[in-house]
Amino acid sequence: MIKIENLEKYFFKGLEKEVHALKNINLEIKKGAYAVLSGPSGCGKTTLLNAIGALDVIDSGKIYLDNKEISKLDEEEKTQLRLREIGFVFQAYNLVPVLNVRENISFIMQLRGFSQEEIDTRVEELASLLQIESKLKSLPATLSGGEQQRVAVARAVASKPKIILADEPTANLDSKNSKALMDMMQKLNEKEGVSILFASHDAYVLKSAKRVIELYDGAIVAS
Amino acid sequence: MYRLIFKLSFKNAFLRLSRTLLVIVMIAVSMSMMLSIEGLYDGMTKAMVNRDKRSDCGEVSMYNKAYRSSRAVRDTISNADIIAKELLKKRGVSSVVLRLKADGLSSTARKSAFSTIIGIDPQAEEKFGKFSDFLESGRVDLSKNGVLVGSELAKKLKLKLGSKLIFSSQDIHGEITAAALRVRGIIETNNVVLDKSALYIDAKKLYGLLGVAKGSATQIALRLDNESLIKTLKKEFKNLDVKSFLELYPMIKQMQEMMKVFNSITFFIVMLVVFIGIMGVMYVSILERIREFGIMRSIGMSYSLIRTQIVTEALFVGLSGYIIGALIGYGMLYYLQVYGLDLSAFAAGLESFGYSSILHATIKVSYFSATFFAIITASLLSVVLPLRKLKNMSIVDVTKVVI
Repeated sequence: MIKIENLEKYFFKGLEKEVHALKNINLEIKKGAYAVLSGPSGCGKTTLLNAIGALDVIDSGKIYLDNKEISKLDEEEKTQLRLREIGFVFQAYNLVPVLNVRENISFIMQLRGFSQEEIDTRVEELASLLQIESKLKSLPATLSGGEQQRVAVARAVASKPKIILADEPTANLDSKNSKALMDMMQKLNEKEGVSILFASHDAYVLKSAKRVIELYDGAIVAS
Repeated sequence: MYRLIFKLSFKNAFLRLSRTLLVIVMIAVSMSMMLSIEGLYDGMTKAMVNRDKRSDCGEVSMYNKAYRSSRAVRDTISNADIIAKELLKKRGVSSVVLRLKADGLSSTARKSAFSTIIGIDPQAEEKFGKFSDFLESGRVDLSKNGVLVGSELAKKLKLKLGSKLIFSSQDIHGEITAAALRVRGIIETNNVVLDKSALYIDAKKLYGLLGVAKGSATQIALRLDNESLIKTLKKEFKNLDVKSFLELYPMIKQMQEMMKVFNSITFFIVMLVVFIGIMGVMYVSILERIREFGIMRSIGMSYSLIRTQIVTEALFVGLSGYIIGALIGYGMLYYLQVYGLDLSAFAAGLESFGYSSILHATIKVSYFSATFFAIITASLLSVVLPLRKLKNMSIVDVTKVVI
């Protein structure tokens, strides 16, 4: 599903403070995967996740999503790719503050032009699965961190993307909420067959993952 | 999808309510003040034009080709009454008056002053320009030796109702002729020239005094419903000196141009304030939410949709200000149109320029339509800079900020 060949990424290239962030990354992630990129802070987990999510440009190498090379796409094509093929879950939840939970969950579906009936069915289904049915009319600011992150997960999976990229999703949650979130994401992976790739050094995330890809100093050291 | 964009725009536009309200109030107040000033400027000029047309030349006046340079009684239009009848048959001509004018000297026992005697038909003048409205005191009674005197001339000669004066001039043969007259009314037209020098007597009496044949006149003044008729009249009466109002009062044209410039400057300043106001709010609002826009971009919202959202936000603010400003502005204009702005304290100064001391505003649809387009333009331009900032943002950089 995702294939990365000889990926290199630098920050401040050509300057004195140049950082070689990703070094000759070669990686394959299959459909239905439940994998985690792990490693210490600054090892390149988020940079790799951003490159896979077409959020950041790479200096060399190739990234394929379902045999389509995404590193060559222009900005508009990358936006469409993110809209249709990829779901994102961020460490800081990143919900739209002026929209309520229902509107946040359906945000991507609305952008993709789903019918109102499809949207309503899907929102109810996900709200039930992630146990946020009673919060659908609430604004994000009135929710706890765990609830906000569940809404963010619901938003990411709502339009059934091919893969979900989750960057430190449990970093702002306590252990109870972290466990609950990971259980739900595991359930989504099994029930909906959605591939999930985490970037995390949370022990519980590592424990629950089916595959752990270890990075150190910008290179994969174990997979 | 656009419902979502519309909802986002509306909610974000009013997210910081006090800040948005401040800009809306600023737009509304600036706009209503501008509309009032624009209405007053136009009202002043319109009133002056209207007074001069009513009291003197109408939309167009006709003279003997030699009269305006000689101002001599011999240079009359001899068949003026026949021409007037012809003119009245034309479509677009609403009223015609004949006037016989002669320059001379008005004297009392103690004072004398240059003056112009004007022979009029009070009934025709009433139809032409509601002549009785100019009456400051007395009545329009030109029977026997009755005369109406311009207000400034009356002051200069210390004339009151019932006062006597002698008007002396030259008749058509160049001989000295004079008439003893009694003041029956004081006329104030705010037409500086007329108020300083005019004496109005019955035209029939003046024909005899000047030895001019009945039916002749030095001026044929016309009120027109359709000013495009002026060109036709000029072609048709080539043997006469046919002059439009603005040709006879070139200063008014200059004043109109000046008022246009004043209005344009006011308009520009107000729109600049509106532009800066909306841009300030939009810029701060976008900078505050740059991370949110980064998130939206990262989850697949295109730049064009974000641009639509921001433009809509700016339009919400601009249009809210416009609607409130238009309502307040209309209210103020209506008040100023009906009751006027009383500037009696500056009456002397204003009247010396031919303005009334109470200024009445005009209301034109164009004020509102021009402001509407200007505010829409200002709203659209105000987001150019913030949008440029958004377009150049790095999604990764703006989203990695930790809350």
